[in-house]
Amino acid sequence: MKLNVENVSISVLNTDIIKDISLQVDGKQFVGLIGPNGCGKSTLLKSIYKVIKPQQGKVFLDHTDILKSSPKVVSRHMGVVGQFNELSFDFTVREMVMMGRTPHKKMLETDNERDHEIVEQALEKVHLTGHADRNYVSLSGGEKQRVVLARVLAQQPQFLILDEPTNHLDIKYQLQILNIVRGLGIGILAALHDLELAAEYCDYLYVVKKGQIVVHGKPADILTREMIGEVFDVDCEIYKNPVTGGLGIAYLSTR
Amino acid sequence: MFYILHELMGEEMAQTVKVQTQRMGKRESLIHSKSGFALLIAALIMITLISVGIAVSIGQVRIPLAESYRILLYKLTGFQWGTTPIEAGSFTDIIWQIRFPRVLMAMFIGAGLALCGAVMQAAVQNPLADPYILGISSGASLGATFAILIGFGAIGWLGQTGVAFWAFAGAMGASLLVLTLAGIRGKMTSVKLVLAGMVINALCSAFSNFIIYFANNAEGIKTVTFWTMGSLASSGWNKLPLVGIVVLVAILFFLLQSRVLNTMLLGDEAAVTLGINLSVYRRVYMLLTALVTGVMVASCGMIGFVGLIIPHIVRGLVGSDHRKVMPVSVLFGAIFLIWTDVIARSLISSVELPIGIITAMIGAPMFMYMLVKKGYGFGGN
Repeated sequence: MKLNVENVSISVLNTDIIKDISLQVDGKQFVGLIGPNGCGKSTLLKSIYKVIKPQQGKVFLDHTDILKSSPKVVSRHMGVVGQFNELSFDFTVREMVMMGRTPHKKMLETDNERDHEIVEQALEKVHLTGHADRNYVSLSGGEKQRVVLARVLAQQPQFLILDEPTNHLDIKYQLQILNIVRGLGIGILAALHDLELAAEYCDYLYVVKKGQIVVHGKPADILTREMIGEVFDVDCEIYKNPVTGGLGIAYLSTR
Repeated sequence: MFYILHELMGEEMAQTVKVQTQRMGKRESLIHSKSGFALLIAALIMITLISVGIAVSIGQVRIPLAESYRILLYKLTGFQWGTTPIEAGSFTDIIWQIRFPRVLMAMFIGAGLALCGAVMQAAVQNPLADPYILGISSGASLGATFAILIGFGAIGWLGQTGVAFWAFAGAMGASLLVLTLAGIRGKMTSVKLVLAGMVINALCSAFSNFIIYFANNAEGIKTVTFWTMGSLASSGWNKLPLVGIVVLVAILFFLLQSRVLNTMLLGDEAAVTLGINLSVYRRVYMLLTALVTGVMVASCGMIGFVGLIIPHIVRGLVGSDHRKVMPVSVLFGAIFLIWTDVIARSLISSVELPIGIITAMIGAPMFMYMLVKKGYGFGGN
């Protein structure tokens, strides 16, 4: 599905966090949102998945006006992997993933064969089938993140929002998670902090600083020495990685 | 576990269950398979019914078990079992007028407290929550203290139900205050709710203590103390319908809310992404639990520990999925309070102990056992 964010502004306690941001994500695009800590990436994403209400602007998922639709309607189409995934009560991994079916269920509907199938497939996809009966709180941070991803997969979304999904993960699982979501072939909007990974996985990037979009375009076009210096306050050199052929960034010093 | 099953239902059936559970996967527990869970619920219902029968036969006057069942059966269905006629004798009166309504009351209150505890813990996402967390306990105490030591207890129509009425009013007032306080300036978060509950608790307790300190009324103070420890002694047919209906309606309602309760435990943000707007549900749930708890407190004082501990014991047994937690908690709570009430009225002959003492004395060690033996970590590890 296609996401259209139009002129969104958000202020929290009289401080402007997001100032008039517009962006588009096409049907099968993987779009990255990059920017320094505190630039408003998470806030922008939260307004798209209805946790924060923007003061201005519109958000459309195809023809659905997200800001005016109920969470239930939105959650049938849009999945979210957030940053904070701690629990103070325990569920088994399978129970956690089964909750991804909630948006598709009526109040009294029970889980059927189909739901169980979807859950098992989701677990398989994140390589956690063997952990299905373990308790969620006993898992490592990376495993928890994969359980949450499995829950979102069980939701069968046509659009995905990721808020720094690879935070705290070691490199294997960072790659695994990004590969899984890219393999879904649906529209994705992801806040990422690793610029090299963003360059490799994203089709398009929006760079955010102080609540505004500074520049946007294809990774190879916009990830330049000047942009990174200006937005992230870091001197660097951009080079072509001789092994992968991808874009490499050598960080030199902070300004 | 399987040994007990053999005892209960014979070789063949135990074998099928064993095969079924093995098929279910790694967690080799009966409770986690569908048929095993149905079996557990059936067993708990049976135990509840049997407990009611045994509980009415125990007391100052011992009545043979068969006789008490006979009287109950006769009174409930009009069917006279056996040849000796059932007269309106002393046994019948004791069982039908005194003990049966009291045991039923224990059953409803136990079920209600366990239910409200489980809901409250989910609603504020805090394992330490109990039905009284919204300031209900201290609000009710303040109301009761007021009625007993100063109040309009003796005047007019309030004379009959004075303490109950003021306790209910206090409970409602306190919980509404807490909900308002937590909702001021933006979102009602669980932390704000718990804090607001604490503040109102402190305030109400201060006022209660103020009244108690200046009341020159030893008898009244004793009544207040007794009230805050809870008792089912005054249960009768007149009180039962209100409590029974309120608790049953709440049970029915919350049994249908399991999905929402589950997502509640994930936190507000995750719940919204799963299509459930918690701020609305939380408000409704809290108002309902406050109402139910208020009615219960008004009719039998404060019975601590049940609402806190039963949901935890149940979670240790069946996990956190509310589709299992809710029905099992309700039945477990009912059984637990029926038996603690039996102990409260028969432990020391001719002395009626406040039931709150017994619930804590039994509940706490049970909890300790879980912590030590099962490694249950309140959800956290």
